[in-house]
Amino acid sequence: MPQDKPWVSHAEIMDRLRADAAGHCGPAGGAEERIRRYGAPVGCVVEHHPRLDRCMLRLRHLVHRARARNTTLASGTVVVADSLSGSSGRFDRSWHAPEGGLWLALAWADTLLPRYSALLPLAVGIACCETVRALGVDGAIRWVNDVHADGRKLAGILSETMATPDGERFHLLGIGLNVNNMDFPPELTAAATSLRAETGCRYERRAVAIRLLARLAWNIGLVHYCEERGLAEGGAAVAGPATAPLIDRWRRLSDSPGRRVVYGYDVVKTPLYRARVEDIDPEGGLRMVLDDGSLLTEYSGEIRYLD
Amino acid sequence: MSQKIHFDEIIGRYRSDPYDYVDMHARHTGKVRFLVDEQAEVKGPSGEWKHIPGTPLYEITRERNTKVITSETNGTVSAINWDADNTFVEAGEKLLTIRHPLKKKEIIEAILQEVLFLFPAPERARYYFSMDIQSRIERKGARSVLVKPGDEIITMSLMKRDTPVYYTGEPGIIHSIYFRPGDSIDQGVPLIGVCAEEKLPLVQKIITRVKADWE
Repeated sequence: MPQDKPWVSHAEIMDRLRADAAGHCGPAGGAEERIRRYGAPVGCVVEHHPRLDRCMLRLRHLVHRARARNTTLASGTVVVADSLSGSSGRFDRSWHAPEGGLWLALAWADTLLPRYSALLPLAVGIACCETVRALGVDGAIRWVNDVHADGRKLAGILSETMATPDGERFHLLGIGLNVNNMDFPPELTAAATSLRAETGCRYERRAVAIRLLARLAWNIGLVHYCEERGLAEGGAAVAGPATAPLIDRWRRLSDSPGRRVVYGYDVVKTPLYRARVEDIDPEGGLRMVLDDGSLLTEYSGEIRYLD
Repeated sequence: MSQKIHFDEIIGRYRSDPYDYVDMHARHTGKVRFLVDEQAEVKGPSGEWKHIPGTPLYEITRERNTKVITSETNGTVSAINWDADNTFVEAGEKLLTIRHPLKKKEIIEAILQEVLFLFPAPERARYYFSMDIQSRIERKGARSVLVKPGDEIITMSLMKRDTPVYYTGEPGIIHSIYFRPGDSIDQGVPLIGVCAEEKLPLVQKIITRVKADWE
């Protein structure tokens, strides 16, 4: 059962968010306050468990439990566990979640227009990458949102959308960040790393969680701000420059543009083609140049670097 | 779904005019300049990933940003709204029509689409059947898979975010599948065509009749 006293309080997250504000490379002027307000629900409830099967499953349970009580789960609710017994990556890939890592999931009410909710996975990747960089690791984002250091994965993100039978929808954003955990199963040894493995320092997980949740609050708030701008600029039909504050942020953190890659929906099992990454478009799609010189933009799937 | 199908009338219609007329509308506001003439032969996208664009049809310029719009289908330009040439148009204004010659398979599909309940893609994304539906299709074939409102039938994948898609149409069996799992599908394009079980013989009759009658 969750503990009575919050493992991390909302006030701590908001304090961190305000303290970080000076370092933000985001829109200027009164926009900052609006972005903070949009993102403020992140971590309004933080439920901490010593051990769970999966944080996403617990969130699903909380959504259904709230509905059974004729209420709704607070948007921004976070479930954190010290270790997971049933963790997994996308498809049937393994994800090792022992003690020492930061394993959490966030429920975010689906109030964004589809064009903008598609940007949430990018926002989560940005938040994770900013967090690891703030902690001294030179992480980078591989499209869509894998955070790695020198090709070894530091953080993995799962994004799902769930709907209750009465139509209430939540985005469930799961994050696994390797913090102090150093031992990985043999199949992951070459592909994974942790903050501690990279720097040799031991991190206080609560502090890492507060920092990460503050970055999530900012970047998710930024997605809402982009939507506000898009609507003000003429509606939802064309994302265009409205999404620039988020897309530019992603570009600064990503090492994907310019890389030669293999692309596939499940690129490990079914690689589809090879290409060179040109850029991402205003909607987050990956623009690639194929070997015959033609351009292709993908809005789903994943890549692996070949160079 | 209509129980009565006037075969002769429908088939006669396709015999006398075996074409689909694809209207192209302005995607957004802007100044339009046509790049083709009437009766021009145009091609749709090609290549293994449909990554080679079709014939350029017109360009539209908004705020010094010019986009070239290409053909999504093969055919002949049958009409052009010349009044729109070199003028500023509103989003949605009809600009030209492409006459696309229909193949037998397309005619069958076109007729079936008048009979089946079409379940469209909610967003531009990649689509997969849900694990349960996929395994039932693999075990028994799509036409043995019954779906009803509220069933989770498809997973929509967009930017590494997976969203279950729930069926909202009439109960029935999955008669036609219009996508390959993993295909990128535009919003509004049909994903599946569903047929009430009792109307299956009728649908089969349509297919048999068109196959028999059409050269």
